Amino acid sequence: MVSMKEKLGRAVVGIAGLGGLGSNVALALARTNVGKLIIADFDKVGESNLNRQQYFVDQLGRGKVEAMTENLRRINPNVKIEGHQLKLTADNVPKIFGDADVIAECFDKAEEKQMIVETVLSKMPDVIVVSASGLAGYGNSNAIQTRQVSKRFILVGDGKSGIDSVKILTAARVGIAACHQANAIIEVLMDGV
Amino acid sequence: MEMLKINGVDREFPAGQMPKTIAELLEQLRIETATVVAEVDGLIVEREKFAKTKLSKGQSIELVRFVPGG
Repeated sequence: MVSMKEKLGRAVVGIAGLGGLGSNVALALARTNVGKLIIADFDKVGESNLNRQQYFVDQLGRGKVEAMTENLRRINPNVKIEGHQLKLTADNVPKIFGDADVIAECFDKAEEKQMIVETVLSKMPDVIVVSASGLAGYGNSNAIQTRQVSKRFILVGDGKSGIDSVKILTAARVGIAACHQANAIIEVLMDGV
Repeated sequence: MEMLKINGVDREFPAGQMPKTIAELLEQLRIETATVVAEVDGLIVEREKFAKTKLSKGQSIELVRFVPGG
């Protein structure tokens, strides 16, 4: 019987976007001893991020990849981290996340969520994608669910609460969705699909 | 009647009125295609192929429309 530590220690997880979802997914997976995280984001840490994203005031203005790498190392120096400070596109996703077993879709924009899920499902036949859609607002915790859409596509969220209609993102509700994602990823790595 | 299973729910169309492609189905449902991932019988259909992908009765279709926030 392979232990959880051994199994997760061999795993590689890609995290696409290091905002409210991605920063929380990264922390949860690092604390769970996932072997390697490939993290990617184009953005810098801004003041409006601190209401829900796992950065600190003294990291304002720094690239999110560098800041998150520092935070992850402080939590668990055993996790390997490969960082890419750049904008992910349909062209570079297969290369950047080529080694990943699972990719967490942690973008903000709906069109980018669509792009990476479509790219993984059509171009990366051995990779599972765990996406999130519908997590804005507060309260209504139990509306956020994890659903297996198809063999390689897991979807988290309430499916409807977007920042376009609800206008607010909170640490608590985004955190619930991010931990659904992290939990689904651990489950897939442990038990398969 | 002709039937498509859409997100797990059977949907019936009068004969001859079943949408012929994914693009037609989305138009009927008034869903903007830019934020949609579609699967037919478990296989991904890329967005640029929505208009070319013919539907047959009895197929199972998953439509995921993403909303922003993260």
